[in-house]
Amino acid sequence: MSAASLDGILGSGRAARLRIWLRRAWALTVKEYIQLFRDTVLVLFMAYAFTLDVYVAGVGVNWQLNNAGLGVHDADKSTASREVAGRFRAPYFRNLGSVATREAGQRLLDQGGLMVVLDFPPDFGADILRGRQTAIQMQVDTANSAIGSLATSYGGEIVGRYGLERALNVPELNVDKIHGVPFIIDETRAWYNQNQEDSWFMALAEIISNMTLLSILLPAAALAREKERGTVEQLMVSPLSPVQILAPKILAMGSVILAGLAAGVFAVVIGVFHVPARGSLLLFFAVSALYIAFTAGIGLLIATIARNLAQVGMLTVLVFAPMIFLSGAWTPPEAMPSWMRLLMDCLPMHYMLDAGFGILLKGQGVGELWRELLGIIGLGAPILALSLWRFRRQFR
Amino acid sequence: MEAAGFVKRYGKVEAVRGLDLAVAQGELFGLIGPDGAGKSSLLKAVAGVLSYEGGEVRVFGLPVTTEAGAEAAKAHLGFMPQGLGRNLYGDLSIEENIDFFAKLRLVPAADLRERKERLLGMTRLDRFRARPMKQLSGGMKQKLGLVCTLIHAPRLILLDEPTTGVDPVSRRDFWTILHELLSEGGVTALISTAYMDEASRFDRVALLYQGRALAVGPAREVAAGTPGVVLRIRPEVVGPGEIRVASSVGLSADRGGLAAAEEPGAQASSVSSAATVPRAFEAPDALELLGARYASVRGLGREVRVFVPGAADEGAATAALHALLGGAGIGFSITGREAADLEDVFVCKVAPHHADAPGGTGGPGGTDTPATSDTPELSGLDWTRDGGAPITPIISGASGEPARQADEAQGLAIHARGLIRDFGSFRAVDNVSFSVKPGEIFGLLGANGAGKTTVIKMLTGILSPTGGAGSVAGADMLRGGRAIKERIGYMSQAFSLYTDLTVAENLRLYAGVYGLNRRLAAERVVWAIKLAGLAGRENALTASLPMGLSQRLALCCALLHRPRILFLDEPTSGVDPLGRRLFWDILRRLSRRAGVAVLITTHYMSEAEYCDHLALMYAGRVVADATPEAMKAALLADAGPMLEVDVDDPHRAVAALRAAGFAEAALHGGSVHAQAGPGEARERGAAVAAALVAAGVNVRAVAQTPLSMEDVFVHRVLALEAEEAGAKGARA
Repeated sequence: MSAASLDGILGSGRAARLRIWLRRAWALTVKEYIQLFRDTVLVLFMAYAFTLDVYVAGVGVNWQLNNAGLGVHDADKSTASREVAGRFRAPYFRNLGSVATREAGQRLLDQGGLMVVLDFPPDFGADILRGRQTAIQMQVDTANSAIGSLATSYGGEIVGRYGLERALNVPELNVDKIHGVPFIIDETRAWYNQNQEDSWFMALAEIISNMTLLSILLPAAALAREKERGTVEQLMVSPLSPVQILAPKILAMGSVILAGLAAGVFAVVIGVFHVPARGSLLLFFAVSALYIAFTAGIGLLIATIARNLAQVGMLTVLVFAPMIFLSGAWTPPEAMPSWMRLLMDCLPMHYMLDAGFGILLKGQGVGELWRELLGIIGLGAPILALSLWRFRRQFR
Repeated sequence: MEAAGFVKRYGKVEAVRGLDLAVAQGELFGLIGPDGAGKSSLLKAVAGVLSYEGGEVRVFGLPVTTEAGAEAAKAHLGFMPQGLGRNLYGDLSIEENIDFFAKLRLVPAADLRERKERLLGMTRLDRFRARPMKQLSGGMKQKLGLVCTLIHAPRLILLDEPTTGVDPVSRRDFWTILHELLSEGGVTALISTAYMDEASRFDRVALLYQGRALAVGPAREVAAGTPGVVLRIRPEVVGPGEIRVASSVGLSADRGGLAAAEEPGAQASSVSSAATVPRAFEAPDALELLGARYASVRGLGREVRVFVPGAADEGAATAALHALLGGAGIGFSITGREAADLEDVFVCKVAPHHADAPGGTGGPGGTDTPATSDTPELSGLDWTRDGGAPITPIISGASGEPARQADEAQGLAIHARGLIRDFGSFRAVDNVSFSVKPGEIFGLLGANGAGKTTVIKMLTGILSPTGGAGSVAGADMLRGGRAIKERIGYMSQAFSLYTDLTVAENLRLYAGVYGLNRRLAAERVVWAIKLAGLAGRENALTASLPMGLSQRLALCCALLHRPRILFLDEPTSGVDPLGRRLFWDILRRLSRRAGVAVLITTHYMSEAEYCDHLALMYAGRVVADATPEAMKAALLADAGPMLEVDVDDPHRAVAALRAAGFAEAALHGGSVHAQAGPGEARERGAAVAAALVAAGVNVRAVAQTPLSMEDVFVHRVLALEAEEAGAKGARA
């Protein structure tokens, strides 16, 4: 129907038409809010996902070597062997004492009681004093490959440094004594996260993951429930356009998720973990709002495919799990095979993570974030359009 | 089976409150009552799958109180839960389902083979034995469910609403099979149903309501237990009734005036629609007066069927009606007298407990001002008397194409012309045409899958037609989608309410959806709460409402914007007879006073009789399109009167009549119903009696019983099926 014909009928024209359009959409938005807040379990889950879960992820998940259990089989019992064993220090290692036999050490490794076993041969100390080449054995449990390789490299470094000191015949190697020796001094300066706090990365990644999950799940569940109950048919028979039916869902769910995000960011990410928030928080929330709206499109798309709530649950897991893997929340993108990185470039969540870190840690502005913004909009808009198209087509 | 003081609670809710029942060996016992009466709870307790709080249930003398006791009884039980094919496995074929249940029950292979063949033959499922269950129709699923329940030859079968949601033809099949099985003896059946008109099928029934038995006994005795007279009358206006006719004209004029003010192009059509008031509006006012006094009143087309409780004979009943209607200037002629049926009894017995009850069980002393909050306030439906409130909040301009103007001029609310809808290669709706006038209640009947819902979905704009055209509420169906949606109300089978919202929130939502402004929305919400009889429950969650109330709430949600046409897709499923009556009161008043056209589908054949006009659908086509009276008259001419034969041995009588060519002979409790073939009732009755005597069956009495819409429906559909089979045979 053309706006002109309505002009004639309503007199006040476009304004009146818009007013009624908004009144209708608002009635549906209010409905979504009521339904959402009446679902106690869902509200509690959201509160958990944006606060406690983020806190747990920040505190609990740690990619550094901490308290690795160490056992020593010292067949030598010399000053040298004790010196080397003594250098495996806290907080990285925890010396749990000596092991009587090699077999006992092996057993403790197998059982998981120890992570590292050092094995000194009988004449280790004597060999070092005589200047003869010698070796010690270090057995490391690398079942968790990341932590295992950290332990291996730390251990290697400790032993290597001790060996260098003995070779140069100095009691303790430091900057003053190293003059004249061809040796590269390795002094690092970390940027953006000077103390290399894992909690910063983890808390941010977790809150963005949870925001993504909820942005998919809430609209999908709401629409699927309407399909199950038959209420969506009722809405289709009333004078509402598909946009009018779907937009209130995105608006209501999205605003609640954004509020949860804000609570989580201020209370946990900044409040507890002291993430500096170098860039504009306003920009961060604006980008998040955009991201939530487009991610809701994925949820609506799922709901147009699924026949009931159970299928929505399964499809959400199916979509969300690879998103988490490929987005860079768990693994650095650079470590992935090139075809996977291509796939990654197709994930809005990847751009959201980049933008989130960029704004909060690096203080980036719109100027530096144009690629991320383009990614979020360029990928999200077609998905939203597709879900709208599919929703419309279901009733044809 | 025996139950003594049976009590079942769900949380704090007492579902069954002290029920005493005894079912004898070999009996066909019916549990009749609306949803929530406690039927399922009792059946599940007997089956040993539900624990209970009080009393005792004994099966074959064994108490079903302990796990061990229940297990012992289970060997002799067959239980079919509620819901179409709920106990079956959708991906297994018919035969695999049967085999599975037989293995579960350790049926010996030889017995299995023999029983399977017999049951499959009896249910006519043998042709489809390799077909997966999920591809069967509702009726076939129920038949397969029955076979699976019977495969271990139980001595007691428990069927929970086996006929709910099944079309009348399949329902009749189902009863035939059941009767055949029981005629062989040794089996006892306890069956629940929500259809009051199935009561006559049982040997004995228990009428359940809110966890109590209102009456127990043979259906006819239960019905006769409440004294009174049922009359059919045809009201005639003799006095100031014209006022009402005038008001209907006023409505059209009013609407026209509004349209004229805002849409200059509509003047011509509004004048013409004011001139063409489609019908006399006299019957409903008599109906309103009667409905206010008597609990069991049914409007049947232009006639009214009323149960006058306590009246000793026809004279007393007539006098009572004269006293009531005469004061309002309404005369009437008596067109028939019937026996009270179970629904009359149910409504009368329940009404005193129900807030809607007119005082007392009738008689001239009864008051006619029920004033409790549960009562719908019907006067709110007289839209014209509102002092010119707009009928639709926004008048959208529809393009003024010629077809619409023509329909408006003819005064048609809905005009479907050759509608077609394909799903893939399957033609769900095939060249359907019909028209509905303003103020008319139009019923669309048909079995599941006949295409009723698809037609409604096309007319309401949810589905677009593959072919054909039509106009709805004066707008072209294909192009005026938005305008149509502003002018129609729709209520689906599922009621489509948001159960996690309160009553008022639901109403406010739909007020907003229909674009009502704040003031109008507030007014209409109050109006709708009164109309639904929900005053005082505004803040109750919709999920907590009983079926009858949520149904009325759903209707009111669809009325907030005062539509011109109301589409109702099986709106009365699962609602008790009293709730259905109140619902129909609203529909009647809507159509008569406000001139709203109502298009309704229903699988309660008794409700089809309330419609002004019916269209019968079969396999996507409209195969009959007439008034209920005309359809019945056609059947009477075609297949003759329906006779009720009282005999000594009903099972043998049915077999004898079938053998003698009365194919539709069926068992109803202790008597037999048979369509006697065209001709005069007395003469055909003699023929039937002769056939029975020839077969050695002692005939006690033969009486004519009125044809029901169910008879019409079943007869028509069977004839069409036979025709189709014949056509197929001819091709092969």
